[in-house]
Amino acid sequence: MPTTAQPFAHLSAPNVSLYRDIMRVFARAKERFIVHLRPEDVAAELSRLSDEHLAQALDQLTGWSNLRADPDTSRVTSVEDFHRKRFLYQLTGEGHAAEQALTFYDEMIGRRGALQSVALEDIAEQLQALKVLASEPDPDPAKTHRLLLSLTERFSSLADNAQAFMSSLRRAIDFSDGNVDGFLAYKERLIDYINRFIADLANSGAQITVLITDLERLGHDRLLRLAAQREASDAVPDETEAAAAYANAEAAASDDWDNRWRGLRDWFVSTGTGHPSQSRLLRQAAVTAIKQLIDTVVLLNERRSGRSDRSADFRALARWFAEAPDEAAMHRLWRAAFGLTPARHLTVTAGTVAEWDEVDPPPSTPWQEAPPIRISPQLRKTGSYERRGQPNRIEDRSLARRMLRDQAEREAAETAAARRLLATEGPVLLSELGVLDARAFRLFLGLLGDALAARLPGDTEVKTTTADGSMEVRLSLVEGGAEVSVETADGGLTGPEHLIEITDLTA
Amino acid sequence: MIPEEETAQRRRALRALLAKPLLLTETDADAVVLVRQHQSHLRDWLGRETGWRLHVDAEMARLFKTQPATNPPAPDPTHPARGRAKEPFGRRRYVLLCLALAVLERADAQTTLGSLAEEIMNASTEPELAGAGFAFSLETRAERSDVVAVIRTLLDWGVLTKVAGDEDAYLSATGDVLYDIRRPVLAAMLSGHRGPSTITAETFEDRLAELVDEPIPDTDDLRNQAIRRRLTRRLLEDPVLYYDELDDEERAYLTSQRSAITRRIEDATGLLPEVRAEGIAMVDPDDELTDVRMPEQRTDGHVTLLVAEYLSTRQRARLDELHAFVRDAARQFSTYWRKGVTEPGAEEQLLGIALDKLAALRLVEVDLDLVRSRPAIARFAVGEPTIKTEDAYR
Repeated sequence: MPTTAQPFAHLSAPNVSLYRDIMRVFARAKERFIVHLRPEDVAAELSRLSDEHLAQALDQLTGWSNLRADPDTSRVTSVEDFHRKRFLYQLTGEGHAAEQALTFYDEMIGRRGALQSVALEDIAEQLQALKVLASEPDPDPAKTHRLLLSLTERFSSLADNAQAFMSSLRRAIDFSDGNVDGFLAYKERLIDYINRFIADLANSGAQITVLITDLERLGHDRLLRLAAQREASDAVPDETEAAAAYANAEAAASDDWDNRWRGLRDWFVSTGTGHPSQSRLLRQAAVTAIKQLIDTVVLLNERRSGRSDRSADFRALARWFAEAPDEAAMHRLWRAAFGLTPARHLTVTAGTVAEWDEVDPPPSTPWQEAPPIRISPQLRKTGSYERRGQPNRIEDRSLARRMLRDQAEREAAETAAARRLLATEGPVLLSELGVLDARAFRLFLGLLGDALAARLPGDTEVKTTTADGSMEVRLSLVEGGAEVSVETADGGLTGPEHLIEITDLTA
Repeated sequence: MIPEEETAQRRRALRALLAKPLLLTETDADAVVLVRQHQSHLRDWLGRETGWRLHVDAEMARLFKTQPATNPPAPDPTHPARGRAKEPFGRRRYVLLCLALAVLERADAQTTLGSLAEEIMNASTEPELAGAGFAFSLETRAERSDVVAVIRTLLDWGVLTKVAGDEDAYLSATGDVLYDIRRPVLAAMLSGHRGPSTITAETFEDRLAELVDEPIPDTDDLRNQAIRRRLTRRLLEDPVLYYDELDDEERAYLTSQRSAITRRIEDATGLLPEVRAEGIAMVDPDDELTDVRMPEQRTDGHVTLLVAEYLSTRQRARLDELHAFVRDAARQFSTYWRKGVTEPGAEEQLLGIALDKLAALRLVEVDLDLVRSRPAIARFAVGEPTIKTEDAYR
């Protein structure tokens, strides 16, 4: 095998398309178990003439070690053919490997991130089956291993697709050149993605999350160990003689399975806000993509709606401003083009309006003779309405203060009364509270709010003290209680039945 | 909803749109909610009375105001684009602004200040811009800060929203800033009916005329409607509408329909008609619906007030005359005014500000070195001093 093999060199050569075509012919021929091809065969496959051009290309490929040339010893039917060097060509190992690599590359690049929606279903189904196994006392190792293997396979194909999807979203798409067709095609594709991918992810994703959590509770490790043991026994046929080797193999396999499980778990289950799951990231990416899509639609619409190109409009205006004769002209252009200037009106005082009403000057009155706006003499004299140098008088606010104090005391007294009214002798049912007046009800609402805010999700009972420390409330849900109504002066408040105990701590 | 409340809400919504034709949900949440609530009513009213289009969506409310380019007889140049310090834009900023918008129109969803500036610079090399004498290289600090001023304007309008970074860091060449581009807002920037790129006229006035041109209807009814819309737009937008600025057709229409038009505007906005022999002003009792105020406090407001007072007693004044007047006033009021007003040359700046304000409010006309007072300047007078008794402080 020549050490100078360059099986990828043809990719950067000028005639790359011809080289690729030739190589594909050989690869396809090999699939049909045909090893040797004559230049004429290649030409026929490519539907072209077997000319000098093709011969050179074959030569070149031979030089790069993609092909091997063997002398062709078959019969010829013309003198020219006899004098020409004739060869049979076949793929070399390098050439074949390169061809396979290129095919794989094309597949990867061509992948558009379409999600097989069945993958999620399959994963859910397999997890379900694993769950059944996990709850058995003695799970069948073969079954377990098979399930885990197919789960792994389904999952990695899902993850690959998702990755392709993410990267297709990230691909910067530039519509500034107004490529509307390109955009419309992209839009269709994106909406397609979103429909299939995200809907499936949202629906099955939640189910899968629950299944994973359930499995972990049932002891998924046991199943992973079973699979690892089975793999280890495959690797080492005789376990008695090679105990150490077996242990190593089992540990390695076990590590692999733990790692795979972690991948699966991280994909679907978020661990705190800092580590959102892959599926969550995907959903976010999709939402962002939709936003960008809408932005672009808006942009395209705007560009279409104007009769003229607005960018050109602004450039024309820039030119007009540059060419305007003077500043006054520019200010006029500014107002006319943008219409952003405020309205402007003269003022009038209440005194003058009253004077007009009184005098009622006819419309033929010249300004000179109508009642004028009276300018404050202070302003006329100093340019300011305020008197200079003289501080404002200090107001006596004792009356207002006394009023505020009285009001505060009255309110405190009323609240204390309401508290006494509200305080219960031991626990009572909400429905037995009786009719509350407006003030007591407001206090009660506050208490209820405090208590409900202090209650953690899942709790049925809560005890809390109000923010001002004046009351304690204990609230517990009555199992199977009906909707009840608390009657107040302003109407009824309905809600589930609770047992409530209110203690007035200030009493 | 009670009818008074509904009217008040509709007025607030329309006023918000008139004051700021582009309202964004982040910065003007209340106003956008109001506009959205009353959008069908507002759209009907604006369509009928002004022919203006109203666009409302989840992010913004945009009133596409259009106005005649030339308010006869004098064009009105007192509505410049302004930077954050209220300074009017100059040529370079206007051009950069348009180039920035052109670049953003073609950009992806995000951009940085650095790459935007680069692309603006590339766009500025277009031969037609260079031919007009426009050059931009990003090399001087002044050029960079003009880019930043333009970007900040785009941020204020909501065309861009900042993601990270700081423009000041870019100015000192140490950092960059990342922005999101908001296409819907970008798409709502231009208010004209025609795209400027479709206009081939060569002179500035022709271009402007074609930009705001609206086809003239050929039936009497529609022509009357067009006249009413023109008049309503100007009454909604301008501080004073003088009869001598109208053509015969408009004047005839306004004379016969005056009370109907002003009443409709009053109902819709709460502005009151001040109808005088020389013209009409829709005045604002709430003193909100304006970008230029008079009277106003502090030095600039005070100078404006004094100049107005001086001009209200005479038909016209020469600039040097007014300079002398402001110089005297600066000495007289130096204890109340900001520092530096008595330095030589300060009077030019002070008078410039005052005349800009008065011209913007259509109270004076400046023609080279002559300032003419316009009739409405007579509507201001110093009130009688009121003596406050001790009770006033109780």
